[in-house]
This record gives sequence, structure tokens and C-alpha cells, in this order.
Amino acid sequence: MNPTRGGWVILLTIVFGMILSVARLPDFVPSWAGWLRPQWVVLVLFFWVIEFPDRVGMILAWCLGFLLDALNAEPLGINGLCLATITFIAWSFHERLRMYSIVQQATVLFVLVIGVQYLRASVHSLTLDTPVSLALAVPAVTSTILWPFVAGALRGVSQRFRVR
Amino acid sequence: MLALAISSTLLLIVGSTTRFLDPVRGALLTVVSPLYFVAEIPYVFSAFATDVFSSRDTLLEEKASLADRVLELSAVAQRYDSLQAENERLRELLGSTSRLPGDVLVAELVTVIANNQRHEVIIDKGSSDGVAVGQPVIDASGLFGQVVEVGAFTSRVLLISDGTHAVPVQVNRNDVRAIAAGTGAFARLELENVPVTADIREGDLMVSSGLGGRFPRGYPVGRVVVAINDNAAGVKRVEVRPSAALDRTRHVLIVFESVSQRDPGGPPNSPEPSEPVSTEPSVPEGNT
Repeated sequence: MNPTRGGWVILLTIVFGMILSVARLPDFVPSWAGWLRPQWVVLVLFFWVIEFPDRVGMILAWCLGFLLDALNAEPLGINGLCLATITFIAWSFHERLRMYSIVQQATVLFVLVIGVQYLRASVHSLTLDTPVSLALAVPAVTSTILWPFVAGALRGVSQRFRVR
Repeated sequence: MLALAISSTLLLIVGSTTRFLDPVRGALLTVVSPLYFVAEIPYVFSAFATDVFSSRDTLLEEKASLADRVLELSAVAQRYDSLQAENERLRELLGSTSRLPGDVLVAELVTVIANNQRHEVIIDKGSSDGVAVGQPVIDASGLFGQVVEVGAFTSRVLLISDGTHAVPVQVNRNDVRAIAAGTGAFARLELENVPVTADIREGDLMVSSGLGGRFPRGYPVGRVVVAINDNAAGVKRVEVRPSAALDRTRHVLIVFESVSQRDPGGPPNSPEPSEPVSTEPSVPEGNT
């Protein structure tokens, strides 16, 4: 009935997150709205890691990072490092994180995303001449705000398709 | 975790200092490029709906204006043919080789890189169409950017307005040379280190100078909108508004140096432009 135990559902949601992370904003949206874009892949990955730690591992996260690098035209390896770090932390504390309320989970996510954003910015600053600014924290805020909705939607999906 | 972190760091170092990873990047771009097309689906649908439901009058109007435009352009083209022949003759007399670029390939924008700090687009032509890294890209009204990464069916184009991009230019009126650096804003390029005595005025048309060998000569880059002497810094501050519709255009042209360059796959020693210091994407921004 369910031989892959919903592995394709996990992959599909991650791919969907990747699509959202490159989707172009419509022309009538002002360009500063681009700064608000949450870290979709991080959100999706975070959910699967704390809910199904035996299904999603660091190697998968690291490999996904390469695809994200190519998608976002970033230096090769940067997203692998970021996603593997998040997966490692989420995986290490998944039992505790699962007991947390949604607000506490969102707080942890905020800290993780902001850390990753600064890691990414510092790597970028090695090759590019872009200043590290407070604007980097904005995706962390939007990711945090969206976490309850993403987690709710993914929980529905995982129950509907019986991911184990 | 430690192993992954170390290998990531190594990759980052190798990737930022050498070009060994370019084929890997190309392959990855080929793998992920379908996602760009999927992400564009809503826009494709809405454009389709607009086409279907646009009224007959609008279409007729559009057709009339396009017909006018074709007439205008064919008038220009007639003159161009004779001018090209004359130019070839004169160059032969001077003993210099022909400098007119060979061939162009029309490409359509797939998507814009969703990152406020980068000005990059994905186009729907790749190595299977003979596109190679370093090729200049123009649009209907001026220089647009250059190809920086090639997948099988898509490639990534860095716009001239990106903060890391610079292009050698000259004033069309008197051939004064300068370097037009991107600023990260679509509507503004800046000329770097222009001496206060340089004869550059507001309204001057800047064209690509062809120096550095990456961009062909004579394509319009932009018009000077601000030219102020900054006596404190001892330089002239010159701002240029790009001619190309960098944030609006849907179709671009990839310029091939010669017809032979367009072989799919290309010969290993295809006439790829030499690596000019001034047009490399990694040029640090304005050291004024």
C-alpha cells in the first residue's frame, strides 16, 4: 500500500519549496518585497527533520544545498553548509523540539535562520563586495511568522499521505 | 557534520579561486532549470489569457503600429547594407580586418534571479544552442549583459547594472574612454575614475568600446544623465542611464563573434574572448 512510506511526498514538498524560493514576483509588487521572501526550503526541511528524523538526514540536506546553489546562483557549497547545519541542530534536538509549542519552535527557527543568513552573508562577502546589513534578518522574521502555517500544512500532508 | 562542513568549505574555496567547478555548475543548472519554468507557469497562463481575451481593436492597433515600425526599420536597414559595404571597402583599404559581429540568436527570458542583491536573469538558450560563457547579450535598444553560466538548455546572464559588473565604454561623440560600472540599480551605471578634464557631458551617448575583447564595439550602453565635477575627490561624477530595458525586456539577443562560433558544442578552442580584467564579473566595485 505504501512501500516508499511517503518518501515521494517529502521530496515533492521540498521541490515545491524550491520553486517558491525562485518564483518571480509579479510586476506590480514593489521590488523591496523581494527582501521579505522567507527561506522556504529551510522551513520545509525543518519540519521533516523534527517530525521524521529517520527519513531526512544531513547528507540529503547537503545535496539539496547544491541544487539551491545552482537555483540561486550562489557559490557552490554555501547552501549545503547552511542546510546541513540546520538539519544537524534540528536532528540533535528533534525530541525536545517536537514537545515544544508552535511558538517555541518558531523561536528556535528564527535563531537558526538568522544564524544561517549571517553565515551566508559572511561567505558572500569573501567573493562579493556586498555589505552585511540588517536586511538579512528580514527573511528570518518572515520565516518565523510563516512557520505555524507551513507546519500545519505539512502536518496535514503527512497525515493525508501517511508518511512514516 | 564536521566532514560535510569541511567539504563545503573546501568547495567554496575551490569555487571562488579557480574555475574547476564551472562544468559542475553547468550540470547542476541543467538539472534545476525545469524548476524555473514551473515557477513561471502562473505568468505564462496570465499572458496566455491576456492574448486570448484582448479585444480585436487592440490587436488591430498593435498590428498597425508594428507595421509602421517594420517600415521604419527597413528604411534603416537599407542604409545599413550600403554602409556596411562601404565600411568593408574602407577597412580593406586601410588593411584592417572586418569588425562587424557575425550572428545573433534570439533568446527569451525564463526568469529573473530572485535576489535583490544580484541582477541576473535566466534565458532559454544553452550549450545545446552553442551559447558559451562570456558571450555578450543585447536587447532591442542596447547592451544588456553577458553570459556567465551555461547549462544544456538555459544559461545565466549577468546584467550590466549588477554591482559586480563593469564594461569598457567610450563617448560616441569624441571616443573618450571610460569604464561603466553597475551600481545595483537598474536605472543607473557609474563611470569610474573619470578625470575632471574629460570631455563628457550630459546627454552624451556611451557605446561599448570593444576594449578588453569581451563586448563587441559600438553597441549603445547608455546616456549620460549626470556629469558633475567633484573637486574634493578630483574626479568627475558621471551617471549613465542604460539604453537597454534591463528590468522590462522579455527578448534578448546573444551575439556571436562569427558564424563558426555557433556550432553546438563548439570546437575546444572556439574564439572565446580573452579574459579582460575590466569586464570580469569579479571586478571589485568602485575604488574611488
